[in-house]
Amino acid sequence: MHMNTPFRLDDHPRRPYPLAPPPAGYFEQLPRRVMDRVQPTEAPALGWLSRLPLPLRTALASTLLLGGFAASLVLSVTPTSASATLAAVPQEELVQYLLANDSRVTLADLADLSATAPTTASYLHASPEELQSALDAQPTDDSYL
Amino acid sequence: MEDQEILAKFADPASRNLAFNQLVRKYQQRVYWHVRKMVVDHQDADDLTQDTFVKVWKNLENFRQDASLFTWIYRIATNECLNFLSAKRRKFFLPLNDVGAELLAKVEADPGLLSGDEVEQKLQKAILRLPDKQRLVFNLKYYEDMTYEQMADVTGTSVGALKASYHHAVKKIEQYVTTQSIND
Repeated sequence: MHMNTPFRLDDHPRRPYPLAPPPAGYFEQLPRRVMDRVQPTEAPALGWLSRLPLPLRTALASTLLLGGFAASLVLSVTPTSASATLAAVPQEELVQYLLANDSRVTLADLADLSATAPTTASYLHASPEELQSALDAQPTDDSYL
Repeated sequence: MEDQEILAKFADPASRNLAFNQLVRKYQQRVYWHVRKMVVDHQDADDLTQDTFVKVWKNLENFRQDASLFTWIYRIATNECLNFLSAKRRKFFLPLNDVGAELLAKVEADPGLLSGDEVEQKLQKAILRLPDKQRLVFNLKYYEDMTYEQMADVTGTSVGALKASYHHAVKKIEQYVTTQSIND
């Protein structure tokens, strides 16, 4: 193109948008994208967590993980749960179970206990003399001992 | 919605989101095109437009209303653009005025970035050859049709300096387009 007269800006039609337009629908989506940026979706109560430096967040996560592991270990070996479960079983059922099954508990074992644990004696329905006679009748090579 | 109504609703936490959404809808096109003319690339303009509105959200409570909301938003957008161009210059070790050359290379590599006839494209290339701040002054006056007083609010420069800068910009552009047309 050749131009004989100098170019004058005032004579040139002004185009308000001289560059290629943005993608279709851009201005319909922009307000929502801006609102998403000014209102983060994370829970406000944990917002402080994301503002911590990365090494500190890593250390905190490791501590929580180890603490949780240690707590579960301690709770798993505590005897209170087993004792509490056993205590809930009626004593009569316990005695019947011990005598009836193959747990190798004999009357002699129960007789031994009667001296120190009066509870057991109440289930044997025998005097100390009768118990002593029963003990004397046991063979000396009792394999259970 | 008028600016005063937007500001009043923004001050009330119950209607803050609604007011800000209205503000974005009202000014998004003007801010986008102001930024786009400075950085040319749509993706850069998109990022900077969003950054501008995020800053508006963060600072609108402190807006003192000694300037109009419109020029205040333009000032934020302008600072975003100039900081972006400075960072680009530092990143690529470009001399002071060579961001324009980089933008020119961009539009020559992708002719679809410019629209209009041959003279219009020469005009756009002439504008891109201006230094950043002079290009900013030219755009605000020529495209946005701002008064020099409004431009002074946006740029923080005196009216006299703005008049001189615009006058020189027009001369440079006319000379460049004339020379290019003779050479073709």
